[in-house]
Amino acid sequence: MIEIGRLCVKLAGRDAGLKCVVVDILDDKFVLIDGETRRRKCNILHIEPLKDVLKIKKKASHEEIKKEFEKLGLKIRETKPKQKTERPRKKRKTPERLRQQKEEKKKLRDVFRRKGEKSEKKTAEKEAGKEETLEERAGLDGGREEKEPKKSEKQGR
Amino acid sequence: MPQPYKRSRSLRRLNIRVLGKSVLRYKERKPGKAKCGNCGMALKGVSRKRPKKMQKIPITGKSPERPYSNLCSRCMRLVMIDKARLQ
Repeated sequence: MIEIGRLCVKLAGRDAGLKCVVVDILDDKFVLIDGETRRRKCNILHIEPLKDVLKIKKKASHEEIKKEFEKLGLKIRETKPKQKTERPRKKRKTPERLRQQKEEKKKLRDVFRRKGEKSEKKTAEKEAGKEETLEERAGLDGGREEKEPKKSEKQGR
Repeated sequence: MPQPYKRSRSLRRLNIRVLGKSVLRYKERKPGKAKCGNCGMALKGVSRKRPKKMQKIPITGKSPERPYSNLCSRCMRLVMIDKARLQ
């Protein structure tokens, strides 16, 4: 009953109720089908043969089956082959790119500093104060100046 | 007398441990399993959630994608064979 070109109805799966044609017999259990359904391997138990037999060659192409189906007034299922796309890969950070990133960060910092003028003033005061305070707090320079002449005095003596 | 939907006894009771103590909590019951329109067997692949949660599930996740999704696969095949043989 099942032969190449036999029109069938698919019984199982999401293609159930759609018509197909046996394109190739793969095994005592499985056949290759095509038509309204997807072109795929199928169990014999999952198809119900009909009366009609189409004149097609073994392993007939999808286009040949399409012509035969159009004669019967049936629309064939057409799927677009999946376009091959390159896998997205991570780009290495070049030194130029790193420099650009640093510059961008600096710009952003400047923007925030302009907004907070008070903080700038404070930092300026601190910087100015540091020079004084370090000398004063340490008291080393002043002390040395006082102590050094004493040494010279000793040498003179 | 409380309205039926306000009764706590019509809800599912769960004993949950909270901070070392078992506390009684209530949850709404799931709807019954979907059954085949022909043979009455429970259908597989049909989601069983409260209607509010069913809104979040995609259409393809609610029921099988084959035709006659209200029937089980066996009954659907029988229907398909009958149709094919009539042609």
